[in-house]
Amino acid sequence: MPKVFYTLPDGTERVVAAEPGDSVMRTAIRNGVTGILGQCGGELSCATCHVFVDERHAGEFPPVSEDEDDMLDVAATDREDTSRLSCRLVLAAGQEVHVTVPEAQL
Amino acid sequence: MTTTPGTEYPFGPVPAAEAVEHFGRLIADRPMTKVTMPHGGDVWLVHRNRAAREVLSDRRFVREPFRTGERAVPFFVPFPDFLLGTLQFEDPPQHTRLRKLVQKAISPKRVREMRGSAVAFANELIDGMVARGGVRDLVREYALALPIEMLSSLLGVPSSDRETFERWSSSTLAVAGKSEEEVATDMAELAAYMTDLIARRREDPREDLLSALAHARDRDETLTDAEILPIAFILIVGGFDNTATFLSTGVLALLRSDEQRAVFLTDPDGLAATAAEEVLRHGGFATGRPAGGGGGLVPFVATEDVVVDGQLIAAGEAVSIDLVAAGHDPSVVVEPGSFDVTRTDNPHLTLSHGLHHCLGAPLARMELQVGLAELFKRLPGLKLAGEPVFNHDVLTQPMTSLPVSW
Repeated sequence: MPKVFYTLPDGTERVVAAEPGDSVMRTAIRNGVTGILGQCGGELSCATCHVFVDERHAGEFPPVSEDEDDMLDVAATDREDTSRLSCRLVLAAGQEVHVTVPEAQL
Repeated sequence: MTTTPGTEYPFGPVPAAEAVEHFGRLIADRPMTKVTMPHGGDVWLVHRNRAAREVLSDRRFVREPFRTGERAVPFFVPFPDFLLGTLQFEDPPQHTRLRKLVQKAISPKRVREMRGSAVAFANELIDGMVARGGVRDLVREYALALPIEMLSSLLGVPSSDRETFERWSSSTLAVAGKSEEEVATDMAELAAYMTDLIARRREDPREDLLSALAHARDRDETLTDAEILPIAFILIVGGFDNTATFLSTGVLALLRSDEQRAVFLTDPDGLAATAAEEVLRHGGFATGRPAGGGGGLVPFVATEDVVVDGQLIAAGEAVSIDLVAAGHDPSVVVEPGSFDVTRTDNPHLTLSHGLHHCLGAPLARMELQVGLAELFKRLPGLKLAGEPVFNHDVLTQPMTSLPVSW
């Protein structure tokens, strides 16, 4: 089973067991991880599931698409090199992912 | 359909606490209920929060048959034609294209940039109320004025035109009390004005939404006036009245709860975000008005048989979300009957979810947060100076007057 480690803005960590094929966003929503809103449900039209992916996972996910890139530009918290929309981060069986939730999504 | 006693649906207004208990029993009993609407026939209304999210995330539920007129929209009133031409009734890929263009202009980042001017304008409005003194009407002098200013500035309506823009835009509001003919005239004038403004922004773009949409055609996308106008209209119709109602409701809910007001006053800026979400979820209940069950968002149509939470929604059937029940689902909301401005885990669906989630959500949230925080920071002694007035002739029963003093 995949596992996601969410570091929240206050520094605390939440560890959640995920379903393979679910995204980091959907896993957060299903488990009530605060700070990830995912309001559009993964349609790349709200920029409210922004996360910073730990550098150790560089290359584990498909690259940022043009649409994702556009939305990251207009996220509430300024983007960084490690920024992703977590609806794009689909988990494989056994995968463990560490992400940091930004200060604000709105 | 036979229902377990105490789980009837729809149900008429009862004291708010009883309504919350009723929703709890209903949700324990079944995920959804098929209801015959006053217009447009039957619709499944989904009560459970998780099932509702499932429906809102499933592309097999579409709105095209409503847009094309193939079938009528099951709703409380005959659905206004001019709304059928808006984004709400488009499906992918056309929806995706339009939505992205608009969403970039009402993005979280853009709305954060507008926050400073919202704070300044809220304070101007409060200055005005303080200067006039005595008993003030919070609906007219604050809750309606803030969203229209924000909307004009987002769209790019020049300040010299704001007064007439406000008159046209508020024409459909209950507080305006206008006849159908007057409303029709105002809407036609508003459409003509917006068309002209779009043309001017094509010539001479500024940093506003209409300019962004008018010039989208200069990139790889193209938008015609006929596409831009309905977007402007849905923002005006959806963004003004609803935001004002949420803000008035939030203020009244806080005035009715000494305990929650005291909590909010300890840190209005810090608690504005959670308080705003709680107002969206439960504000109406917390005002002390009776509550009932029986309505939903604009429906979808199933393109094939879909089983949701064990219930078959057959191909061609309509389905909608009972967002009041979904916001009081005990399996996702702890103590759904309590009004708690510090609630952090608040998965209500008042602004919907998925493809068609509220286009103006970031703006509505910001205005609600700013509107509540600035008011209670400046006037911590705010109190009711009479009973609020509601318009029962309109579907949403908006508050038309809220007398306050301090």
